[in-house]
Amino acid sequence: MTLFRRPAGRRVDRGSRFLVPALLILGVTSVYPTLYSIYMSVFDWNWGQRFNFVGLANYLDVLTGDRFRTALWNTIVFTVSAVSVEFVLGLGLALVLGRLGFGRGVLRTLLLIPLMVSGIIVSMIWKVMLDPTVGIVSYGLQLMGLPRMGFFGDPGMAMATIVLVDTWWQTAFVFIVLSAGLQALPTEPFEAANVDGANARQRFRYLTLPLLRPTILVVLMFRTVDCLKVFAIIFGTTGGGPMTTTESVQVLAYRVAFKQLNMSMSMTIMVVFAAFAVLVLLLYQWLLPGREREGAA
Amino acid sequence: MNRHRARTRLTTFVAYAIALFATFLSLFPLYWLFVISTKTPREAFKTPPDLIYVPDFSKYLEIWGSGFGESFLNSALVVLLGVALTLLAATPAAYAIVRFRIRGGRYVRLWLLLAYTTPEFLFVIPMYVAYQQLGLYDTVIGLAIIYQVFAIPFAVWLIESFLREVPQELGDSARVDGCSELQTLLKVYLPLAAPGLAATSILVGINMWNEVTIALSLTFDEARTVQIAVAGYRGYAAIRWQEMAAAAVTAVVPMIIFAGIAQRYIVKGLTFGAVK
Repeated sequence: MTLFRRPAGRRVDRGSRFLVPALLILGVTSVYPTLYSIYMSVFDWNWGQRFNFVGLANYLDVLTGDRFRTALWNTIVFTVSAVSVEFVLGLGLALVLGRLGFGRGVLRTLLLIPLMVSGIIVSMIWKVMLDPTVGIVSYGLQLMGLPRMGFFGDPGMAMATIVLVDTWWQTAFVFIVLSAGLQALPTEPFEAANVDGANARQRFRYLTLPLLRPTILVVLMFRTVDCLKVFAIIFGTTGGGPMTTTESVQVLAYRVAFKQLNMSMSMTIMVVFAAFAVLVLLLYQWLLPGREREGAA
Repeated sequence: MNRHRARTRLTTFVAYAIALFATFLSLFPLYWLFVISTKTPREAFKTPPDLIYVPDFSKYLEIWGSGFGESFLNSALVVLLGVALTLLAATPAAYAIVRFRIRGGRYVRLWLLLAYTTPEFLFVIPMYVAYQQLGLYDTVIGLAIIYQVFAIPFAVWLIESFLREVPQELGDSARVDGCSELQTLLKVYLPLAAPGLAATSILVGINMWNEVTIALSLTFDEARTVQIAVAGYRGYAAIRWQEMAAAAVTAVVPMIIFAGIAQRYIVKGLTFGAVK
């Protein structure tokens, strides 16, 4: 019988084998823990003897309590601010570098270097540079006759400072992806627009932006989900403080699990938050044209 | 005509000025990290700072004796083991996606995207519990396994884009000549995509080396990674800035060198294989 099996059908079946190792590892490292988290979220467990079924009480606590709402709000404020600033600066840089001739390659490579630094080292660098008393930035402000600023220690400024740190760290990602997108644009529409006498602003508004839309959405999608996950640069600088002004959801989950040992509560927080993050991701997927979906931009 | 040319020249000048300023802003903090690593804290925090000084490299040697060496080795092992695992799993997966129409292929890709984007603590806290029971907590192997969550999706996207550059006819003719699909992958696709696989390894390795969130939660002492060691210079009373900076520079420099080696492919890597 096997002799007469249709080749096309065989081709489909034989391909799946090659997926087995990857799907097996991902099953153990992503599906299992997700299911375990959902299961544990209906218990009250403190990494000890206490282990009681509590139904949806954890969810009620998370959704009605101030702590999670503050953390979620902080995370959203951080994400929206950081992604907007990085997008504007990254797009600006991509357009500026596009105008350069000599030295463009070297500058582009140098601009990528911050991306090769880990979140914890980025934190340390900015902690020392922005120190209110001994930091070089404070000294620079003083030279310019500006007042001393608290940066990470000032409740009104801490979040903005963390956005600044992320901007230094990740703008190059937006820059490099948009640069590549700009280079890949077709030239004919721009030539035609030139013939028709369109000015630079019109060309940007009616050609560059619409043609670049899929690339822009991919960049925004990856930056958004990355920012929602923010942990290291907060852990390394403010630890969530002053008070809870910079506590993101992941920082909250870390504290609840490893400082308070309230494991089931931490898992509940993450189940709710992951659902939120997945919704945001699916929203981006829905905005993207079919060809660009599932990360294969 | 002349006015037009003058304007173009002015724009080019402004563009260079902006680009150079952005480059300065990007590199100055790293230069400053280096300065702090070569000055005693008293000199480092003096205002105005001495621009010309005799650098003191002593901490670069001292840190190796106080646990940083073990952490450096741990990270190197995690990266080697992790990257090997990633390549073994991701290469066939990417091959399957490129060469076959797979049933439910759309969902496989969505799964990869979801695994890549889910916030770490969703799986880190359950894995903390599981690893305690399995004896994988605070081990290099445990870290290398959990890092696959982000490494496999990233590597599949990247390797996929490299395999797509191999002409399909080559694979088809190998099949006609009697090669199995596995042999076709090993003998036709892999040699042609070898530089791409090397670049993928470097980029995945950099991601693993720089990982903080998971390493912080799933290691304690034995398998402490280089990043956690850097964070460890924050003592109870004060931060040991010079040691910390020396350790940080030691951790960053190899990554910049590796990024330089994979330079041709970095853009492709950062755009998840979308752009050459």
